[in-house]
Amino acid sequence: MQTTGLGKQQNLVEMAWDPVTRIIGNLGIYTKIDFENREVAECKSTSSIFRGYSVFMKGKDPRDAGFITSRICGICGDNHTTCANYAQNMAFGIKNPPLAEWMINLGEAAEYMFDHSIFQDNMVFVDFCERMVAETNPKLLARAESTPAPHAKIHGYDTIADIMRSFNPFTGKTYLEALQMTRLTREMFCLMEGRHVHPSTVYPGGVGTVASPQVFTDYLSRLVRYLDFAKKVVGMNDDVFDFFYEALPGYEKVGQRRIQLGCWGAFQDPDHCDYRYENMTSWGRKMFVTPGIVIDGELVTTDLVEINLGMRILLGSSYYDDWEEEEVFVAKDPLGNPVHRRHPWNQTTIPKPQKRNLANGPYSWVMSPRWYHEKTGEHLALDTGGGPLARLWVTALAGMVKTPFVRSTGHSVKITLPQSGTLGEMELEWKVPKWANTIERDRARAYYIAYSAAMALFFVEKAMERLRTGDVKTFQEFDVPDEAIGCGFHEAVRGVLSHHMVIKDRKIANYHPYPPTPWNASPRDSFGTPGPYEDAVQGCPIFEENGPENFKGIDIMRTVRSFDPCLPCGVHMYLGEGKVLHEVHSPMAGLGGA
Amino acid sequence: MKKNNLETGRSQARVVWPAHVPGVPQGGSKGKLERSVGLYAEGDKVKGTARRSTGIRPHDRNPIDPRSPNFSPP
Repeated sequence: MQTTGLGKQQNLVEMAWDPVTRIIGNLGIYTKIDFENREVAECKSTSSIFRGYSVFMKGKDPRDAGFITSRICGICGDNHTTCANYAQNMAFGIKNPPLAEWMINLGEAAEYMFDHSIFQDNMVFVDFCERMVAETNPKLLARAESTPAPHAKIHGYDTIADIMRSFNPFTGKTYLEALQMTRLTREMFCLMEGRHVHPSTVYPGGVGTVASPQVFTDYLSRLVRYLDFAKKVVGMNDDVFDFFYEALPGYEKVGQRRIQLGCWGAFQDPDHCDYRYENMTSWGRKMFVTPGIVIDGELVTTDLVEINLGMRILLGSSYYDDWEEEEVFVAKDPLGNPVHRRHPWNQTTIPKPQKRNLANGPYSWVMSPRWYHEKTGEHLALDTGGGPLARLWVTALAGMVKTPFVRSTGHSVKITLPQSGTLGEMELEWKVPKWANTIERDRARAYYIAYSAAMALFFVEKAMERLRTGDVKTFQEFDVPDEAIGCGFHEAVRGVLSHHMVIKDRKIANYHPYPPTPWNASPRDSFGTPGPYEDAVQGCPIFEENGPENFKGIDIMRTVRSFDPCLPCGVHMYLGEGKVLHEVHSPMAGLGGA
Repeated sequence: MKKNNLETGRSQARVVWPAHVPGVPQGGSKGKLERSVGLYAEGDKVKGTARRSTGIRPHDRNPIDPRSPNFSPP
């Protein structure tokens, strides 16, 4: 272990986790830890992988965009397909038939239920399971053994430690049940979108799924089985997370950063969405997850046009050359607003591979997407809160979502789940939390599982209503225009997702997908602003009882994983220049990552 | 070969041009609906006929109601 005296009164120990496990494996977290004051002094997040979608999409048939960009991710690929199709619908001047829109919403709701469940219950909970807590905070576990679980009647576990035992990988009841549930939700997804995770029946203009009463009842019967699980999961999450706050005073500081949350909206309403850029503000606000930005607890906008125009892609610590001298593709948007040089529509990716320089040079392949706040002139390093935190926060404050099962109140989101197999009707309420921190990001994920299930019930009803009138139209014909631009805004499972496309000569001239992880994992930008992971880990207090010798960094790992990082296999822990620890985390082996 | 600061080998594939050329019928192009049997437009809706549901031409079989069944069987 290397101890470096960087600060005047600090003895900092360099610690690094590269790659971080239980996520797709190319994210590295490099920290300097002040063990005396039990705090992380500095953090840098790096990515060692270059994909180049924006480079090789050029010259392709625009209609292929959904199929190609789906391969960006092995777990949320369908979010990319959907988003690419939204962008194409705009470019082609078409809209999906209502039935198709309900079916895409049903597919996406199943994806949220699937992905949040597998990530939360099979990956995040490993950090909160009995075996892990026994290794990192034995005193906490001793207290958990004697602390009764407030929601025991719902989930059936008497104490907090019983819940933690159910989280144990491979043996715990919750862990195993979650795997069964993810099978169920994948089946639901396939009923609507043909195949998981790269859909085969979702295209620009609609879906190729044959709409029949059978397909919706097959979906519904699985959904009702899932409802029991969703109800139990929320109770378990609340019990464990509330226990952490209570048993470890100050735990709210772990992973806390200034509230800067972005959500690009999900689930289109076919009664309002016509995919025209000119009307994007109004149909964006009709989405069943409201798009918006929350800064310091205030909702600053719900306007997708404003969100779009504020996007800036900065460099600063990334391995790319600048594109200042390159072609401007879109000088003005269809409403006549000027589009910035650093906006994705005008970006040209020029990779420049080089050595990683963590001290003062470029250190990541991730660029630094920022949102320009016109009123304050700040380039904000928005995060997604792992997805659900931003979605629920914006939806709660905006008060625009009013459906039979989900209602936004202006300060909370109320979710009603009807009677299911073993549990009666239940009303859940997600309230806007005081902080954007590790625990709240994880807690929101459980509530968003319930949100998606409740929304799916509504979508099934709407689709069946349509079918009963005899309407089976799921596809809108179109011809590819010679020149067009389009943008799609959606929520990938772990947060904001946008696709920006420029068509020239019926081919893609420019294409830039911006998934959530470039926002969350971005390095320091040209203004020196750290990215969200860096920001959340820097200043993070250390509650782990272990010293530097057998330090696991559990509080740091909980923080990074709370963002649901989409970047698998074996912690490779480097302690300064002395000791290299290799630990194979079997929970992830062979799962293939997130 | 050096392009965009990246050292790459000789390309093994040709640039992918759009798969369709104008004049060749495409799955999603305009006019598809009129050519699809078992579907007919009614206002903003597209309705399915018994032929779509069963693949059988009902009018050859002397049906009681020529439009039934008008949506897909299970």
